[in-house]
Amino acid sequence: MSLSIPYKKYPAPTAPGGFFYAASIPVNIALPAKNAPRSKRFDAIIDSGASGCLFHASIGRAIGLQIEKGEPKQTMGVAGPANLFVHEIAIYIPGGPITTQAGFSDSLPIAGLLGMLGFFEHFKVVFDPTARRVELERLYCA
Amino acid sequence: MRLTIMNDSRFEALQSAPLDSWIALSEDESKIVAVGGSYDEVVTKSENAGVSDPVLIKTPKAWLPISV
Repeated sequence: MSLSIPYKKYPAPTAPGGFFYAASIPVNIALPAKNAPRSKRFDAIIDSGASGCLFHASIGRAIGLQIEKGEPKQTMGVAGPANLFVHEIAIYIPGGPITTQAGFSDSLPIAGLLGMLGFFEHFKVVFDPTARRVELERLYCA
Repeated sequence: MRLTIMNDSRFEALQSAPLDSWIALSEDESKIVAVGGSYDEVVTKSENAGVSDPVLIKTPKAWLPISV
């Protein structure tokens, strides 16, 4: 099954037209345990430049993670290095949940990013700038 | 499956949203149903507003093109 999702407009007063487009989808996260309560849906940006999935720490705390007890890691963003804590979680996205390692940070300026590990490894992703849509096809490896 | 959203309504809602906050959008993402200073606060406020399945967005300190 594939899913075609329109790009979403975000305000950017300094950008041409006062906005920019990004591919994002609402996701939930939860502890990887069966029947663990999920977060509310939140907007997560699809970012092939991110090596993994990254979420705001407050969402992690809401699902029961003790953020600072995760594995500390440092990542390199375009604005410089950032510190985060890694936990195993389940991400609820189209096609069923994915259990993966994801980073959590209080300094993330947005709610979530979907990167290579945990997202792109499970989807064929096609960005179509003419239709301003992203197509997601879930991959199931034997 | 081809999804649609109320992109213009959503965009107008984001433009009117307070910065550096958490907001809850209605299920169709067309309007803001709650605003809070934290994830927990906006979840509580959206439930109090009768919206059990909102889409939450963390607004940045300033709206700028994203490069995290």
